Amino acid sequence: MTESKKKILEMLAENKISADDAYRLLNAIDTDEGGRGSAPKVEPGVKTRPKYLRVNIVPDPDAEGSSGDRVNVRVPMSLIRAGIKLTSLIPAEAMDKVNGALKDKGINFDVRSIKSEDIEELIEALSELEVDVVSGRGENVKVFAE
Amino acid sequence: MNRPPMLMHLKIKGESANFGLWLPLFLLIPLALVVLIILSPLILIGVIVLWPSGWGKKAVLALWAAIVSFCSLRGLKVDVHNPRESVFISVV
Repeated sequence: MTESKKKILEMLAENKISADDAYRLLNAIDTDEGGRGSAPKVEPGVKTRPKYLRVNIVPDPDAEGSSGDRVNVRVPMSLIRAGIKLTSLIPAEAMDKVNGALKDKGINFDVRSIKSEDIEELIEALSELEVDVVSGRGENVKVFAE
Repeated sequence: MNRPPMLMHLKIKGESANFGLWLPLFLLIPLALVVLIILSPLILIGVIVLWPSGWGKKAVLALWAAIVSFCSLRGLKVDVHNPRESVFISVV
């Protein structure tokens, strides 16, 4: 239960508001929470395995002559898992090239060190991922797992 | 491994092209199986020849990875649109 819901119930218990008002306020909170388009709420302490990685890009509707692309992508986690596992098929010479390219970009990481148990850990950690960025042009970028 | 996807919905809207397509993937699976069975002796010979060099194992793993990736496509949804053009891909 959120703080605002608790507050409404307390106000109802103290007879500061009527039952009708409390009902309307609770409904308004539920609608607001449901309409934000954010990741589904998870009770604290309960870890669920995410099924999809979502990427939403919404252009600013108020921008003049707005013709930005609206993007809504849903990628199954199983596809990400399969994709990461494919790295084990990359020949050693290609791996060296990938590592070299990463080093050139300032990333000191050995792609060969990715193991299947790391993949599971990585995907589980994605359940807590939520990126919400509003760009300078007013675009809203959201990345989350659901 | 997941169940393989059954249908693919493709919708493209633009100035030059405007079409929607339901691809029955479930009809392609038996077809792919038949092709695989017909080609299996050739694949087997290829794998045996390449095995000592290490590429045979990689070829088998790549084939398996391709099947797993295909089966993982279920649930994929890509929707990109602007006022002039739109692309929608959904795998169910």
